[in-house]
Amino acid sequence: MSDDQVISEDNLARARDLQAAIEAGDEKGAKEIIDDLTDIRENTLYQEVGKLTRELHDAISAFGMDDRIADITEHDIPDARQRLNFVITKTADAADRTLTAVEESIPICENMETQAAEILESWRQFTKREMDAEGFRKLSKEIDGFLLTQSDGFSTLKGHLNDVLMAQDFQDLTGQIITRVINLVAEVEANLVNLIKIAGLPEHNPEAEKKSGEKLEGPVVPGVDSGDTVSGQDEVDDLLSSLGF
Amino acid sequence: MDKNIKILIVDDFSTMRRIIKNLLRDLGFTNTEEADDGTTALPMLQNGSFDLLVTDWNMPGMQGIDLLKHVRADENLSSLPVLMVTAEQKKEQIVEAAQAGVNGYIVKPFTAQTLKEKLDKIFERLEA
Repeated sequence: MSDDQVISEDNLARARDLQAAIEAGDEKGAKEIIDDLTDIRENTLYQEVGKLTRELHDAISAFGMDDRIADITEHDIPDARQRLNFVITKTADAADRTLTAVEESIPICENMETQAAEILESWRQFTKREMDAEGFRKLSKEIDGFLLTQSDGFSTLKGHLNDVLMAQDFQDLTGQIITRVINLVAEVEANLVNLIKIAGLPEHNPEAEKKSGEKLEGPVVPGVDSGDTVSGQDEVDDLLSSLGF
Repeated sequence: MDKNIKILIVDDFSTMRRIIKNLLRDLGFTNTEEADDGTTALPMLQNGSFDLLVTDWNMPGMQGIDLLKHVRADENLSSLPVLMVTAEQKKEQIVEAAQAGVNGYIVKPFTAQTLKEKLDKIFERLEA
């Protein structure tokens, strides 16, 4: 890059010569110096254009030869998109199945709770000998009915728990898919870094980094720095109380 | 506290709506309705005499923060208590929500206990 350096001893000397020639009224001498300067400028420019052309040519050939990149764009990225959509479907489905099982289990539990509380009440009366024969007949009928519904209830509950268990089968599949996508992203990143190097662009763009800070960040992921964030409900509460909440 | 109050739950993910709905039911609040973003929630609020709004932040259509601002700007809704339940944990966002007039801010993932505490706090202030 020293060729196109404007600030140099040589250029300083030329400038002084040019000034001297103009002051001395030396038209021809001044013209020669200006021509000299123009030549230098043009030579540097041709050299730079030549160098750029060669680099561009190399880059294009290197890119064209790398079938892997074409393969990534044509096949792997759409494939990854499809796989990630599958992850969303799978996890949503698992959450739905789990929630349904829980929602259907809660009334069964509540029912058992109520019935047990009623029978306990009667049973206490019985143990305190405050119950007549009629009351006892009623109680034994209640206990009979309770045990029967218990048995049904428990088998339904067991079924729901089994549903919850089976709904977790997504983890294995989604884990494998996400690992594959992470590997693909790493490969694309490596290729992009190469491309940036070939193109001679700076790898850091502070403007772009600044812009990304303006949108919503989403969930904080441990180990990934996402700026000035809180690390849990306690810190949210502290922050809000510092604001007078 | 009146357990019959009408609550609107706004989140774009149906699973999160169901979780919040179940947690609220467990706390005794059974009068709940759901919306999947601010655009659907706002007319429901305007027509529906709700007593509490529980909303996510990041949603397609109208986001939670904009829904909050619309609620505060609407003279019929301006005093409606709003509880934000969101994954957004940036300090400047929490401050923004506070400035927009949020009554409570819960970060995901959260527990049933946290939801109860924040609701208690909101109603405590309303009754005070």
